Order: sequence, then C-alpha cells, then structure tokens
Amino acid sequence: MAAPLPDVTLLGALPPLPSLVNARRLRAQRLGRALRLWVPAGILILMLAMCFVLPLVASLPSPTKGDIIVNNEPPFSPGHWLGTDMQGVDIFSKLVYGGQVAFEIGAAVTAIGIAIGGTLGIIAGYFGGSVDAVISRVLDILIAFPALVLALVIAQGLGGSEIHVIWALSVFGIPAVGRVTRGATLTIRGLPFMVAAKLSGTRGWRIIARHVVPNIIPTIVTFSLLGVGIVIILEGALDFLGYGIPPPTASWGNMISNGQQILSAQPEYVLIPSIALLVTVASLNMLGDALRERWSTQ
Amino acid sequence: MTDALLQVDDLRVTFAVGGREVRAVDGISFTVSPGATLAIIGESGSGKTVSCRAIMGLLPTGTAIGGSARLRGTELLGLSDAELRRYRGSDLAMVFQDPARSLNPTMRVGLQITEAITTHRATRGGRQSKREAQQQAIELLRLVRIPAAERRFHEYPHQLSGGMRQRVMIAMALACRPKLLIADEATTALDVTTQAQIMELLLELQEELGMALIMISHDLGLAASYADEVIVMYAGKIVEQAPAAGLFGAGGAVRMRYTRALLDAIPHLERPAHTLLPVVTGRPPDPTALPPGCSFAPRCQYAEDDCRAKVPALAEHVPGHRWACWHPCENGAAPHD
Amino acid sequence: MALVQQIQLQQGEPGARGRARRVTGSPALRMVGRRLLAVIPVLIGVSFLTFAIMSTLPNNTAQAILGLSASPAAVAQLNHSLGLDRPFWVQYWSWLINVLHGNFGTAVQGQSVNHELAIYVPTTLALLVYALVVSLALAIIVATLAARRPNGIADRINLTVSMLGLSTAPYAFAFLLIIIFAVKLGWFPVLSGPVTGPASFFRNLTLPAASIGFGLFAIYSRLLRADLVEQMQREDYIVTAKAKGVAPWRVLIRHALRNSLFNLITVIALNLGGLVGAVAIIETVFQVQGIGNDLITGISNHDLPLIQGITLVFALVTVAGNLLADILYAVLDPRIRYGSSTS
Ligand SMILES: Nc1ncnc2c1ncn2[C@@H]1O[C@H](COP(=O)(O)OP(=O)(O)O)[C@@H](O)[C@H]1O
Ligand SMILES: [Mg+2]
Repeated sequence: MAAPLPDVTLLGALPPLPSLVNARRLRAQRLGRALRLWVPAGILILMLAMCFVLPLVASLPSPTKGDIIVNNEPPFSPGHWLGTDMQGVDIFSKLVYGGQVAFEIGAAVTAIGIAIGGTLGIIAGYFGGSVDAVISRVLDILIAFPALVLALVIAQGLGGSEIHVIWALSVFGIPAVGRVTRGATLTIRGLPFMVAAKLSGTRGWRIIARHVVPNIIPTIVTFSLLGVGIVIILEGALDFLGYGIPPPTASWGNMISNGQQILSAQPEYVLIPSIALLVTVASLNMLGDALRERWSTQ
Repeated sequence: MTDALLQVDDLRVTFAVGGREVRAVDGISFTVSPGATLAIIGESGSGKTVSCRAIMGLLPTGTAIGGSARLRGTELLGLSDAELRRYRGSDLAMVFQDPARSLNPTMRVGLQITEAITTHRATRGGRQSKREAQQQAIELLRLVRIPAAERRFHEYPHQLSGGMRQRVMIAMALACRPKLLIADEATTALDVTTQAQIMELLLELQEELGMALIMISHDLGLAASYADEVIVMYAGKIVEQAPAAGLFGAGGAVRMRYTRALLDAIPHLERPAHTLLPVVTGRPPDPTALPPGCSFAPRCQYAEDDCRAKVPALAEHVPGHRWACWHPCENGAAPHD
Repeated sequence: MALVQQIQLQQGEPGARGRARRVTGSPALRMVGRRLLAVIPVLIGVSFLTFAIMSTLPNNTAQAILGLSASPAAVAQLNHSLGLDRPFWVQYWSWLINVLHGNFGTAVQGQSVNHELAIYVPTTLALLVYALVVSLALAIIVATLAARRPNGIADRINLTVSMLGLSTAPYAFAFLLIIIFAVKLGWFPVLSGPVTGPASFFRNLTLPAASIGFGLFAIYSRLLRADLVEQMQREDYIVTAKAKGVAPWRVLIRHALRNSLFNLITVIALNLGGLVGAVAIIETVFQVQGIGNDLITGISNHDLPLIQGITLVFALVTVAGNLLADILYAVLDPRIRYGSSTS
C-alpha cells in the first residue's frame, strides 16, 4: 500500500505551527487557580485581623457588659453597627471577642492533635507490625466512640473554661490527625527514595525527620485547615449545649444559644454569629481544597 | 486516493494543563487502505495513543484538536459526540493496552460484549432480543478462540487470565464487524508467549473479516514482522514513514537516526552473545518545552548545529519513503561503521 | 463532626479502595465472620472508655440527686447504695455482666434504662434513617448530574451548595430552617412532638432530618462527584465503554456509578460514628424525644447507667453500619464475592 505523496518537496525548516489552545483559556485557568487560593486566604486574613488586631487599635465597647437602656437596638444603629442584644451589649464586640475564642480553640486543638496524633500516626505508619496494630486499634476505638459525647462528658466533668474545652475537643482531634498521618506515612513508606534511605543504613529516626516529615507536611497542613473549621463548629456546639465557654464570656456558640430564646422576634441574633461561623469555616475548607489542588498537581 | 479507508491530515492535539500547553500530537498525516496493516511505532509518550483517541473521539472534553480525519470521505473531527457514536464501535473499534483495567471489574464479561452488540442494533438490522445478543456474544467468544465460551460468558474479568481478557476485549471490538481495528499496544501488558498468540489471532481475524488494522507499539520488531506500512513517531511528530519492506527487507534502508537507534535496540540472533545491547539513551523531551530544532537532537549523537536550530520537515526523499532528518543515515548503514 | 472521615478519605488515607483490597482474598462468609468477631473488642473498648473517663471525673451523682443542701453523710450513704463507692473496674464488671443478661441498670431518676431505650431508640433510628436515605438519594442524583459535565452549570451549583453544607454548623442551619419553615411559613412545629404515625413522622422529623441531612448530602455528593469525574477521566474501562459507542449518560450510570457506590458505602459507614454527635445536638434543638436528647440530659445529671446504655447503642449502630457496609461490599463486588486473589 503506497502512502499518498504530499506536496512537501522543498527541503526547508518547518515553521512552528500556530497554537491550538486559546491564550484566553490558559489565562483564565491560571486566574481561576489563583483566585481559588487567594480569595479564601484573604477572607481569613481579614477575619483574623478583625478579631485580633482591631481590638488593639480601636476601642470597642465591652463584649460582656452593656447598657440596658440601649438594648435590642437593630443593626446599623449609631454606635452599634450590628446592634445590641437583650442586655444592651454591642453585638459586633461580641462577634470580635467570640472570634478570638473560636480561632484560639481551633488552633490549639489542632496543634495538640498534630503533636500527639501526628506522632502516633507516624510511628504506626513507619514501624508497622504490632506497633501499628496497637495504635490503630486505639485510634479505631476513639473514632468509633461518639467524639462529641466524650467531649461533652469531659467538658462537663472539668467545668467550663477555654482550656477545658480545648482538652475536651482534643479527644476528637488526636485520633483524626493520627489516622490521616498514618495513612500519609504508609503511602510514602513504599516510595523508592524511602527504600533507598533504608538500604543505605540511615537510622529510623533520621529517616523520619529527613524524609517522612517533610513529605507528609502538605497532607497535614491541608487537613489541619479543615480540622480547625470542624473544631470551631464543635466548640460552638459545646457552648450551645452549655458545656463550653461559661456565658458572660463572648463566644459564637453562646451568641447562637442566647439568640435561640427570642428566635422569632430577633432572628438576627442567631443569624449574625452563624454567618460569621459559616464564612470562617467555608474559607478554611476552600483554602484547604486550593492547597490540595496545588500540591497534588506538582 | 479516494479509495482510502481512513485519511488523516495534519492532525494536531493540544492539552491545556495547569495553564500550560502540551502539544501531544503535532501535525501528523497518514492513510490506511481497506484491509491494510499500518504500524505506528515510538517510545512511550510520543503521542501514539493520543492520535488514535483523537480519531475515535475519545479524548477528554476540552482538548484542542486540529486537522482532519476522514473515514471513507466522512470527516470525523468536529462531529458531535452523538454523531461520532454511530461510527465508534461499529466501523471503528479499538483494543487497549491493559486488559486488566480495560474491562469493567463489576460487570460480567458477557454483558460487556452484548452491550457492544445492542448499542448499535438500531443502525444494524433492527432490534435483537436479549437472547439473540447473548447468542452472538457467545459466538464472538468462540471466534476469538475462548474455550467453554458459554461458561466464560457468565464470568467476571478477574476470573480470566490476562490473555483471556485481551481476547474478550477483541471480541468486544469485533462485535459489529468494524472496517478498521486500532490495537493500541494490545500485547504490551502480556507475557511473551501470550503476546505471540494474541498477535496471531489479530492477524488471522483481520484476514477472516477483511478489516484494516492500525497496530500501535513501541516494539519495532513487531512492526517489522506484521505490518505493511510503518510510521515512526517522536515527540508528537512523524519522523519516518515507509512500507515495511522499504525499511527492513533486504533492499530496505532506515534513514532517520531515531529509527536506527530503535532498530539497534532490538536483540538480534546474529549478534554475538553477551554483547551489551545499545539503547537509546536519554528521555523524550518535555512536551511543554520542546527544543527549537529537531526534537531528537538532544539525544542524537550525530546532531549538528543546524539540527538544534531548525526543525527538519518530513519529506518524501525516495518514492514511498519519507523522513525528517538533516543528516540521515547513508542507505541505512549501521551508524557505527 | 461527620466531616473528618470524608477528609481522611480525600486525603488519600487508604480507606475506601484500600478496604476493598484488604478484604479481597477471603470468601465472603469467612470475612463476615471475622468482622463480627472484631466488633466485640470495639464494643468492650468503647464501654470501658466511658466508664474509665466517668470515674476519673469528679463524681457528683449523689449530690445531683439529693440537691446541694444534702449533708455529706447522706451523700455518702446514697453513693454506697448506688454502688458508686466501689472501685471502677468492679462497677464496670458488674455492669458488663448485667448487660450480657440484657439489663442496662437503673438511671439516676429511678427509671429503668431498658425502658428508656425502648421508648427513645425507635425515634432516633427513624430520624437517622430518614436523614440518611433522603440525603443519599439526593446526593446520588445531584452528583450524577454534576459529573455529566464537569465545570458545567449543574456541577458549579453542586460544588457551591455542598461547600455550604460542609461549612455550616448543623445547629445554626437548624435555626435557619426553624426561622423559615416553622416561624415564618408555619409548615412544621418549632419543637418536635412524639412520633405516632406516618403523618406525625413527617411533621415532627422533617426539619431535624434536614438539619442533619444537609451536611451528609454535602459529604456524599462531593465524594461521589469527585469519584465519578475521576473514573470518567482516568479509568480504562470507561474509555472501553465509550469506544463501544455507548452513550455518555449510560456510561456514567452503568459503568461509573456502580463502581463509585462501593466507595460511597464505605464513607457512609465510617461517618456513622460522627453522625451521632450531630444527632444529639439536633435532637436537643428540636426537643426530639430520642436517645440523643436523652443522652445530653443524662450527661448533665452525671447519670452513668443512662450514658453507658446510650453510648453502647450508638457504638452498636456505628459498628453495625460498618458491618453492613462490608456485607454490602461483598454482595455487590464480584471480586470479593468470588473470593479471588487477583484484582
Ligand atoms: N489527558 C491528557 N492531558 C494532558 N496531557 C496528556 C493527556 N493525555 C496524554 N497527554 C500527554 O500527551 C503525550 C503523548 O501521550 P500518549 O499518546 O499517551 O503517548 P504514547 O505514545 O505512549 O501512547 C504525553 O506527553 C502525555 O503526557
Ligand atoms: Mg500509549
């Protein structure tokens, strides 16, 4: 069978073919990637600045004591742009100081989770065998256990305070991080460079520090972002059920719980903290997704 | 060339990945006549699979495809998926590289074959009953020489051996008696004995059913023994194209340096035992960052400055034999002489 | 709360697919038997953990019953008669023996825990099943529509809605539902009454089920959509089906969806443990008369027998769910059903 003879007879250099891909589409792809990362990151930075920097530079009304004369002010009232609650406490102040509590607890529980759960997970995943079996079984039980129940029991037994809430919620954070870390460690354990490191006789702990930890950091960071969001929701749940931060202290959960009592008259008392909660957690989730997208295409 | 079964002209395929452009296929043209066997050879990543999937319309949506591919005069590129489906599986069929992954693990193999039959029943002689389709499927299993076809019909892919699975894939491809069968590295994932059996089966069936065959492989030896015409691809381009006899036969001569290197990598009986096999050193270029000149220049030991500066065109230097090289081998002589 | 497992699966924990591989290689029946045996230590572990934690915490059960003005002698007396002054392993042992005889003990307020469970468990189970079934059905439909055209309009809407569902606190969402559907529209009561029949089931449990189900829907639809899209892009058998000329929606449903459901089953089972927390809060919000609400009351009364009984029921639900998932896996996936060693 003879191939058709094309007209190419001149022996010259080939001009480069024009691009088939629309340059606009490439730019849109790049822009989309950047937006998916920087929009939630920007919102989070704003939220953090609002909660931690604003009270230092501006004088906000007290988040606990209010003037009963100006109670139940609607949003956009003079001096109280989100209004005041039944006791006349400024709602924006409560939101700011409640946000501090939420971020602090979220960060602390996640840090404890990474310190304890992460260590257990790496040990289980790296050494395997009976070490893994024992640690995994304990993590299994903790996960099969209704975490919120455990947190409630502990919070109730210890009594309400920020530090006790942190301990109670760690019950949930430690096994979660533990499992994720173990999974990530298992995944990289079989990779060629790990085998090479082991064959070259490097000590176990050195391999963990040099090879395991740097490689599971992306997984842990993305998981932590989502974890902080979950902890903030759970912290609100503890407050809401009355086992969290004791009431005069501002917290988003307390705001929702108090607002519940006059839900039909002033729905905004519940809606304002709920929206703050939603925006924070959604930003954390979206940032986690965006980072995972970046790191998985590398 | 109006009698051509498939005519591909200047086919180009580009992916946009993470804001960068991947030119997987960069302007290839070829023709397949009815009943002929065409071999497409090249290292992995040279764009063989992408070319064929482009013709079949099996690339992910959003892939940019240019050029033309005509099946007996009908343009396939640019057809809507619904229009293309009329040809896919009926006139054009494909067998894939990895039979373990190409069959749905949770579906009985018989059902996967009858699906191929019933999908095109509207265009092929009206409706068939389920029983008829099943009967046809069992006949297909016999056609591809599967023993105990009735029993195999009810089994799941994991219950079959690799060779059996590939036979099932072939049966599925043949369900509507295609005019053109594309075998994309159909034997690569199999062991050597099975490879030969499957190859023989494909050629027998090609004869029996009078269909054309595009045989994709990275093994030049396979092409030499089975194909009528051979195309060598490198980094998305055709670098050499000739009738198999013009390349490997007594009077044949390989011209392109890359083809030569591939050919030298095949073990020969006449080579003294225990000599090191020459291999093509280095790796194919990154498709997002192709070199400015000949794509093979960075790995070519005969490359000179002009190779690195300008892309050589694929031109017909000898009737029937085309190559793209600034400094081709002299009449196919081995480079080490 | 239920989100952790979802994240773990996304993070590449060798969960869903890994599990299938792990159980491969053993005939289905033997596998079920082994799983049943593995259930027992988990149940014992969970109940032991509850006991251990409760006993290390300051114990004020007797004080709670008698009131703050009770004399220390009276408190000690009651503690003794309740058996609360014994070492905790002795208490645990006698509790365990009783449970094996079908007796969950007596709650602080004097009622039998068995009786309490008999009243409240059916309502909670009904709520759980309602939320699970509806969110699962919706998730399958929506995810399939979304996966038909990735980045299409259906997909974008689904991604946005499920991101909201993933980020909304269930109790906050419950209040939103109450404001709209109970206060403004008046379609449902603000507080749920007892469930007596189909009509009262829908009237009383729809808002609670929706509050729980939104998060579940978000998890399921995100996972299913991701899995479907990945299969449609990566799996060779999808290309095979397309090469046969099968229509895209048929490929999606007959070939991709079926395989994705295996992974989804695992996620649902893994999620059950976390779901319990959401059930407890939502039951409290709506005052549903179920064990979640009862559990919160029990915790505030430091009511050990009640907490123990309910925790055990919840753990049982989780474990039974996991077992059911494994059995379904074995029934649906031929590779396990036929006990083959090749994948
Ligand atoms: N869906 C895709 N997205 C981006 N790049 C792709 C895609 N499919 C293939 N490619 C790239 O196209 C090139 C050619 O691939 P392929 O045709 O599969 O090679 P082969 O010759 O081994 O069959 C490779 O560089 C590959 O990375
Ligand atoms: Mg290929």
